Amino acid sequence: MNHKFSRRKFLRNSLLGTGAMTLGFPALNVQAEEHKVRCGVVTSLSGANRFGGNLTRRGYDLWAEEINKLGGIEIAGKRYPVEMFYGDAQSRPASGADAAERLIIQDEVDVLFGPYTSGVTLAVQPISAKYRVPMISGSAESPNVWLAKPPFNFGMIPAVDLTTDKSMVVLADNLGDRAKTASVIGVDEPFSKETAEGFRKGVEESGLELLSYELFPANSDLSAIVSKLKSANPDIVAVGGHESVFINFVNTAKALNYKPKALIMHYGVTSAAFINETGKESNGILGVSVWTAGLPYKDALFGTASDYSDLSFSRWGTRPDYTEAACSASGLVLQDAARRLGKAPPWNQETRAQLAKAIEDTDIETFYGPVGFAKEGSHFHNNTKPVPAVVQIKDGDVVPVAPEKASKGELVYPIPGTS
Amino acid sequence: MASETVKTPKLVVRTLLIGAVVVALAVLPAFIDSYTLRIATGALMWAGLACAWNIVGGYAGYISFGHSAFFGIGAYTTAILMQAGIGATFFVTLVPAIILSIAVAVAIGGPTMRLRGAYFAIATWAFAEMLMQLVTVLDFTGGTAGLSLPAYLNEFFFYYVMLIAAAGSFIGVWFLIERSRFGYRIKALRDDEPAAESLGIRTNLVKVQSFALSAAITALFGSVYAYWTTYIDPHSVMGPQITDQMVVMVLLGGLGTVWGPALGGVLLWITNRYIWSTFGDTVIYLPILGIIIALVVLFLPNGLISLIVGRQRGKELVSNILRKL
Amino acid sequence: MDLFLQTLVNGILIGGILICLTIGFQLTFGVLHVIDFAVGGWTMLGGYTAYWLVTLAGIDPFISIFLVFALFLLIGRGLGPLIYRVRTSRYARPDLMALAFTFGIFLFMRGGALWLWSYNSRSVESVLSGQFLTLGPVTIPLLRLSAFLMALMFSLGLFILLYRSRFGMAVRALAQNRDHAGLMGVDVKRVSAWVYGIYTGLTASAGVLIATIYSVNPTVGIRYTLFAFFVAVLAGLGSVGGVLVAGLILGLLEAYVATYIGARYSLLIVFGTLYLALLVAPKGVLGRGI
Repeated sequence: MNHKFSRRKFLRNSLLGTGAMTLGFPALNVQAEEHKVRCGVVTSLSGANRFGGNLTRRGYDLWAEEINKLGGIEIAGKRYPVEMFYGDAQSRPASGADAAERLIIQDEVDVLFGPYTSGVTLAVQPISAKYRVPMISGSAESPNVWLAKPPFNFGMIPAVDLTTDKSMVVLADNLGDRAKTASVIGVDEPFSKETAEGFRKGVEESGLELLSYELFPANSDLSAIVSKLKSANPDIVAVGGHESVFINFVNTAKALNYKPKALIMHYGVTSAAFINETGKESNGILGVSVWTAGLPYKDALFGTASDYSDLSFSRWGTRPDYTEAACSASGLVLQDAARRLGKAPPWNQETRAQLAKAIEDTDIETFYGPVGFAKEGSHFHNNTKPVPAVVQIKDGDVVPVAPEKASKGELVYPIPGTS
Repeated sequence: MASETVKTPKLVVRTLLIGAVVVALAVLPAFIDSYTLRIATGALMWAGLACAWNIVGGYAGYISFGHSAFFGIGAYTTAILMQAGIGATFFVTLVPAIILSIAVAVAIGGPTMRLRGAYFAIATWAFAEMLMQLVTVLDFTGGTAGLSLPAYLNEFFFYYVMLIAAAGSFIGVWFLIERSRFGYRIKALRDDEPAAESLGIRTNLVKVQSFALSAAITALFGSVYAYWTTYIDPHSVMGPQITDQMVVMVLLGGLGTVWGPALGGVLLWITNRYIWSTFGDTVIYLPILGIIIALVVLFLPNGLISLIVGRQRGKELVSNILRKL
Repeated sequence: MDLFLQTLVNGILIGGILICLTIGFQLTFGVLHVIDFAVGGWTMLGGYTAYWLVTLAGIDPFISIFLVFALFLLIGRGLGPLIYRVRTSRYARPDLMALAFTFGIFLFMRGGALWLWSYNSRSVESVLSGQFLTLGPVTIPLLRLSAFLMALMFSLGLFILLYRSRFGMAVRALAQNRDHAGLMGVDVKRVSAWVYGIYTGLTASAGVLIATIYSVNPTVGIRYTLFAFFVAVLAGLGSVGGVLVAGLILGLLEAYVATYIGARYSLLIVFGTLYLALLVAPKGVLGRGI
């Protein structure tokens, strides 16, 4: 028993000793410790939006990995490595707010990288403003996000109403006299609805006749809508929604023997999943993209757009879409602003406010495109510089077809096989 | 009163216990960080919501699957009135929120409560879903895009507001139901409706009153929630997940008991947050919730409270509700 | 006029599937007196099973539907005694406890499906996908037509079972009066369990058809629970015959509302109609409800 007792004591003491040493170790090394730039990523890693949320995470992570290969962000001649922290918004605004609060209070992040959806972004905005933590988002395309003029939030992607509006005008110009009427449909949920609204504005601006504008609940049976479109037969049909709606639409239309002369959709058309699911039916479908790997942009960290695409492919196994690209570019914005500010981390509230000002003054070119944030107006702090391209699916490939300067192929109209 | 000498120590102990809990809750914010404070605020809200549902589900014996409608009414009323164009202050919005919820409860409660058990459940469910759809298609509610409220990020403020609301609900239930004639009427209603009628109790009035009370409390929490979260949309404040949780919390805690809902509410909410922070994904929470319900129904239909209060008494309480009809 | 006719066809075809969805549910209510909140869940699981059978084994859903039926028949048969026990337990309020129990099952199914298979929709491919038949001004998608016929076949099968077999007679006796049936020698517990199995089998089969036409994801369960409730209530809870009428009504209602009023309002109107129906005609349009 004596033996046992002393062995226990020995074990206990050694454990305590090791514990004390590990705890005390950092204290001993405080001189040599390197400050890192602590970045918090708030996005939907689970829930209905987890696919998109994970795309954003990949974008941010890819940037962090690349910049850390160089030693970190350069500020006043020294390099500061980047450390990433994650908060899962679970596809719900309230959880996003909780996650942001936790990242700021418990993980003490210096800056936030923003969520996939606009709903979560809106919920996080007041929190980032309260603690004065700048947030840069590579996603969240709803114009509502910028209406409130958030002082600490910046968005890399022009709001969806801007992109769809512009692309519809571009499309109508390209088609000229060949197209006179258009119908717009969309899913009745925030992002899709704004996409549809953008298309509608574009139709009105370009002088086309709007035959119908209809919203429908997610997951609905589209046979009624398709039957109505078939009956009205517009020259252009525009659809606002996510991938699954597009697939549903294409399938339902096929089963009802309807093929519009031109079919334009927004986000999701360029994804491999869409092309796979619809097969030959995808031929000729038009989409809108703020960024494709073929565009002539480049920067010092990632190289050209094409280089970035290859890098992402070798890292994640899939080609990047524009959300992922925008998220990686967010990191570039942070780099540039931090360098211009010239203050080493960790950053207190005062410094972070100055950082936000520095971000506001951004004017750079990245592999993703030009970046400059509006300082006033309805798209406050939104990057309004990129010009969207209209793309068309040709035999499984996504080819930009308009406007002229981005075009790599001819816009085929009407789509072959039109009923 | 026969066993007065036996009762008094029990009463004293109980009062002291409750007093201690109250004091602890009041000073809690000083000892925890703001993130944990958020969790505590949430727990108070759910305890209050469970208490509200219990009035109609536990005491009156009408299982409602539509309470999320009232939560949403509260949330949207506050949100709409606090928009830039109208600019009401928070506390002012509580009044119309409560009044509106009572009005709706009276309007639909009357006809709906003519239905028996399961029919009532389906009808309230249909009503809640219908209201959610309505909010989605209207413009002034922001439709699917939802509404943002002016941000007031004082965690202490919300903690204490929730604390007062929750405490108020429980005290209200205690006085109005456990310790009053109204309470006798409600319980008579649940135990044997025809008999209650024959005794001259105006069952329709009692039903509607209990429904209205339950609705008002639910709406109150909805209002606070909207201001607390600063952003609401149809699904987050009127979705089925709100009612689902309320039902499970009360079933778990103990139908028709005063403290059962508090127990069930706090326990389930803490579990939810724990799963979230540990596994980062609360999808697993749903099947767990389902299993909990199934197990409670099979083995503990009197709720957890029966383990504390004593199986016999818990059993009595619950079997009284459940024997109705 | 063309659009009107097309809508008529659209509505009827959907109605047929809704009939198949609800017929089992009605039976369960009539015999077990249980309102199964999980009806949408069984639908969803049936759909997923068909998906996995197509994806992993290449079996066309119109063939795998029979396998799905058999599989879920057995699963339901296994679960049946538990439902029966909850429903007939002495101390609790059985009908509500059964509702809560099936609600728990539904949460479990939905949550489990979300956890295992995540949110994205899966479409179930069939050789008939995308094919259509033209009849004058109307285009009839072959897939929907086949689903409609399949649904009718299953419903007919159920009717034959109920009215032309000894087992069916026992079931009907049970639905009329449980105690008397028991006294007359019907093994109440066993028959009830089989009834539950038939219900889950039928509902899962309807799920296969639904998944093939649309797609399946874990959240569709609620929608189909609503539809089943709607049709069942409109038909009069427990009335299997009324389902034929009510199913078509719902199909046509949805189609016409979506076409002429707007797809946004279809759910609102459906829920609203259900609510009103419960208030005004709780015994159903034919007045044969329990």
